Amino acid sequence: MAMNNNQVITKRDLNNISWRYILGSQLNWNYERMMSSGYLYGILPVLQKLYGNDDKELQDMLRTHNQFFNTNAIFGNLIMGIDVAIEEENGYKSKNTIVALKTALMGSLAGVGDSMFHVIWGTIFGSIAGTLAQSGSVVGCIIWIIANIALLFGRAALLPLGYKQGVKLVTTLKDKLAAFTDAATVLGITVIGALIPSVINATVPFIYKHNGVKLVIQDTLDQILPALVPVLLVALTYWMLGNKKLNSTKVIWIILILSIVLSAFGILA
Amino acid sequence: MHLAMYQIILITIYAFIAINDSLISNTLTQPAIAGMVSGLIMGDLKTGLMVGGTLQLMKLGLAAFGGASIPDYFTGSVLGTAFAIISGKGAEYGIGLAVPVSLLMLQLDVAARFCNVFLLHRIDKAIDRMQIKKIPHLVLSGSLLWGLSRCIPILLMLLVGDAAVTTLTNNMPVWLMNGLKTAGGVLPVVGVAILLRYLPAKQYIPYLLLGFFLAAYLKVPMLGVAIIGVIAAMIVFKINSNKKTNNDNSAVTSSGTFEGGYDGDE
Repeated sequence: MAMNNNQVITKRDLNNISWRYILGSQLNWNYERMMSSGYLYGILPVLQKLYGNDDKELQDMLRTHNQFFNTNAIFGNLIMGIDVAIEEENGYKSKNTIVALKTALMGSLAGVGDSMFHVIWGTIFGSIAGTLAQSGSVVGCIIWIIANIALLFGRAALLPLGYKQGVKLVTTLKDKLAAFTDAATVLGITVIGALIPSVINATVPFIYKHNGVKLVIQDTLDQILPALVPVLLVALTYWMLGNKKLNSTKVIWIILILSIVLSAFGILA
Repeated sequence: MHLAMYQIILITIYAFIAINDSLISNTLTQPAIAGMVSGLIMGDLKTGLMVGGTLQLMKLGLAAFGGASIPDYFTGSVLGTAFAIISGKGAEYGIGLAVPVSLLMLQLDVAARFCNVFLLHRIDKAIDRMQIKKIPHLVLSGSLLWGLSRCIPILLMLLVGDAAVTTLTNNMPVWLMNGLKTAGGVLPVVGVAILLRYLPAKQYIPYLLLGFFLAAYLKVPMLGVAIIGVIAAMIVFKINSNKKTNNDNSAVTSSGTFEGGYDGDE
């Protein structure tokens, strides 16, 4: 049993595996064990350092870290930091703890992480970059690139943070994350409200003519509510997504075909 | 306009790097950025931005987490920009073609994730034989599979691009092209509706209305709306933090709604 491995992991080791994990976490993403080998790739130098003098232990830990793993990639760095601290302290006998810890953390952090870094982050920067690009400006794209580079460095810092704070970090973080997630959700939803009238581009070109009276339907609709057609389309799509038989890709196909048909009849443009 | 060989090669290399970056910083495959880069390479930045920007808005809310595959608006953005420039018919034409291309290319992602299982089993074998030096090589060769999954179809489409685009342009009926243009304007509804299902929108209806009226009546641009959203978020954060000192459970219960959010790949 590898005992007293205390304090063999240096700050340099931590930064090294943090960037390794950023690079490799998803390159081998596959349907069988998802991010397993990405984790193994990241933590490999630490495993060699901790168990290098016992081939049996090393092999067992290599196998352990190549088991099913899937979480939000950014919080993966935090999990690895906590993991390394425990393995450095307790060595090979912490194997079962590590397996349990990874499983527990990957699920609870995946939900929050994906909401924050995929959904809200992508919606805010994507809608700014998208609308500005449509008018021919690169500014939104540049802002997004800079923000993502900053995020990479933030992610790299999560691993040493997890190492230093250990498991207790997750409990303190949970409260802070909840307040932070609420705030981020408010920002995300404000942006979504603005997306409806500004990015959905649909009008009714139909003009009603009767006894010399000309009625431009779109003008009437605009008087009721600007962007009434987009609002109704969002409501329709929202309802479709509630149907268990439809996934997002099927809904995209339905909207595509519906748009082509309605446009051919001159109802939608 | 014809694409020069060096432009085709540059775009293929870009596609290879970008798809790998989508697994690292998730920047270069964003349609707006892909449109910007391909536009720059093909010498028409503005068209690239317009194609990419429109596809970016369609992609909002469609996040490929948990291994779900979504329409490949990245490949659509690169090829849509190329088709717009080759045909000389402008951004709208490129967007029209990019939409079906993005939907059909979804399978590329599935193929790459499937092929990576093979590498995983080689890694298992390397562990059995304790060939530790092999492990990093095997994990990193995943990037080759990802890269090829996008750069082969893009290269092929660009090589046959001239002929294909001319044939398409001459044969596509007007109603279909107009329909695709309309679809380009309508498709962002899917992302917006997904976001409304995924986030606890019902709890935050005032903010949804705030954003809507800022944009619909006051015509505030997206960056401005985001800044107002940040202010609202800061106020909410402050209120929540104050509440926490009084009641330790308040923040926990309000975040509970995140569990079991909308899954785009059901």
